[in-house]
Amino acid sequence: MIELFDVRKVFNTGKPSEYSALNGISLNISSNKVTVLTGPSGSGKTTLLSIIGCMSRPTAGRVKLSGREITSLPERFLTDIRRKTFGFIFQQHNLIKGITALENVMLPAYPLGERHGPLKERAMHLLDRLDLSRKAHSRIEWLSGGEAQRVGIVRALINDPSVIIADEPTSNLDTKLSYRFLEIVETFKKDGKTVLITSHDPLVYQASVVDEVVRLRDGRLEGEAP
Amino acid sequence: MKSWIEKQKYIIDFTLSSLLRRKVKNIGLLILYALIVFILASVMFFTHAIKKEASLVLRESPEMIVQKVVAGRHDLMPLRYRDEILKIRGVQAVEGRLWGYYFDPVFGANYTLLVPPATTATEQAETEPMRTVVTENEHRHGPEEQAMPLVGAETIGAGNIVIGNGIARVRNAGKGEFILFRTHAGEGMPLRIKDTLSSASELVSSDLILMTEPDFRRFFGIPENYVTDLAVSVRNPEELSTIAAKITRLFPDSRPIIRDEILRTYDSIFNWRGGMMIVILSAAVLAFVIFAWDKASGLSAGERREIGILKAIGWETSDIIRMKFWEGAVISLTAFLAGVILAYIHVFFTHSLVFEPALKGWSTLYPQFKLMPFVSAEQLTTLFFLTVVPYTVSTIVPAWRAATIDPDAAMRHTGE
Ligand SMILES: Nc1ncnc2c1ncn2[C@@H]1O[C@H](COP(=O)(O)OP(=O)(O)OP(=O)(O)O)[C@@H](O)[C@H]1O
Ligand SMILES: [Mg+2]
Repeated sequence: MIELFDVRKVFNTGKPSEYSALNGISLNISSNKVTVLTGPSGSGKTTLLSIIGCMSRPTAGRVKLSGREITSLPERFLTDIRRKTFGFIFQQHNLIKGITALENVMLPAYPLGERHGPLKERAMHLLDRLDLSRKAHSRIEWLSGGEAQRVGIVRALINDPSVIIADEPTSNLDTKLSYRFLEIVETFKKDGKTVLITSHDPLVYQASVVDEVVRLRDGRLEGEAP
Repeated sequence: MKSWIEKQKYIIDFTLSSLLRRKVKNIGLLILYALIVFILASVMFFTHAIKKEASLVLRESPEMIVQKVVAGRHDLMPLRYRDEILKIRGVQAVEGRLWGYYFDPVFGANYTLLVPPATTATEQAETEPMRTVVTENEHRHGPEEQAMPLVGAETIGAGNIVIGNGIARVRNAGKGEFILFRTHAGEGMPLRIKDTLSSASELVSSDLILMTEPDFRRFFGIPENYVTDLAVSVRNPEELSTIAAKITRLFPDSRPIIRDEILRTYDSIFNWRGGMMIVILSAAVLAFVIFAWDKASGLSAGERREIGILKAIGWETSDIIRMKFWEGAVISLTAFLAGVILAYIHVFFTHSLVFEPALKGWSTLYPQFKLMPFVSAEQLTTLFFLTVVPYTVSTIVPAWRAATIDPDAAMRHTGE
């Protein structure tokens, strides 16, 4: 359960370019559900996602994770929560070039100092689940767009997070691959994970796997008075 | 604890693979870096070895030398001066020395001819015990090593000489062979090579020829009652300048030279050389500063992006700094070691090949300018702090700046 209370985010405070991206958002995101954030471009979806994922802090308001207030925690703890609780799937898949798919997948686990053997085994197992075992030792730049995206998904799963966050996961995919992605989301749900996706793709927010759709506009929940 | 070690292993692993990923850039960096270390280290090794050599030379030279001066020039010293100087209070011993230079027209080289101290003229009975005698080409090492070879004149024997390595090399002459010299009167004078000198310091012994006193006198036509100069030893070093003053009063045409004065002369010679070295040294340091500054002024877009990704997937700022630290350390340590080893070979085995043009003046005097390998921990530490430390720091600073940005930046404008 993720709870947001009147979350606000102002960029470049005090400068001429000051911009208020989130204007008081209160929201509950239930566990083991698939929630989609949608809304026009610039409405604040990515901003909200990065606050929920402990990547940035709100300017005002509070965020609670399983009842625990996280907004005021120091950076070290935030990083710790981030890597144990959240798995991120990025729009640009953000993989590191020059190293193999397998190494990319294992990277988020390095700071946790797990033994190499079991870690590699788990990574291979996850790659296998997404039909990537044959590509494990290929360099990232040799992969196709769909393969790269799936490597990004595997990387999000390596630390066995309870919440999976995906920002515009299907924007670089064709229809077939987008359906494939939704199938993968289905398996996340079966595994009891909470999934949070931003998308303005109807294919995503109208999918049957989605439990809840949250609409944003100008940094507010749609329907709420400005 | 175990996971901590495991974590460091992962970070170092990833660092090494990152270095390999940017192979061309990093190898270029390494070569440039090693080159600068090489120049710095060469200069440092060279000047230090020279100074060391000089101090070895000086350790052996007498506390005071007295020359006779005629018309402002060094002249032969009458032995009667010696007896007078010996009477001065505080003087312990006075020894007449016989030495001179000989120009070999065939090889265009200058030799230093010397009569070993033991048999110089009528030696004082009370003087210090005879120096040890070296017979064969025996190699001696260690701190107690003498710069000046110790060969007693009695082992040389009339008609024989003992020559320095440099001469042996130049003339390609070995034991048992004869060298034909020309005496002051122009007569031929064949002398047999009894032995060659092996000494710690080539600087001193390379051009040396040792011979007996009678041979020496015949060679240069120096009368029995003259020597080249006098070596004076005193009981109390504090009195050196007083005694020197007394000697000048006694013999206004004499010039006492105190060892410290020689030291100053040497110093000015080496400093002149050193002065040139300083120019090279400062140029190298400057190059290094520019190089480190360039490095410090920023990371490439690719590196920045990678740091963003690592932060977004859960790496801490400290993990990233540690990674950059290892990266800097690996590059600088490799370059440091390579540069130092190359400089060592350069200075002590290839006779400072690169500096050769600057040392031309010397290389005629010493056909092969071979320095005694000498490197101190202090030199290495200085070099280390001049190079490895600033470089490593300069790689951390930009990484730290990049690593403290919000990880959500990785979610935006990260187009490839
Ligand atoms: N670091 C920043 N500095 C200044 N303005 C920012 C910053 N990050 C985001 N913004 C602004 O905040 C607003 C919301 O951005 P956000 O990325 O959350 O939109 P979005 O809903 O994800 O849009 P899209 O659908 O195009 O991805 C935008 O107007 C954006 O320009
Ligand atoms: Mg967005």
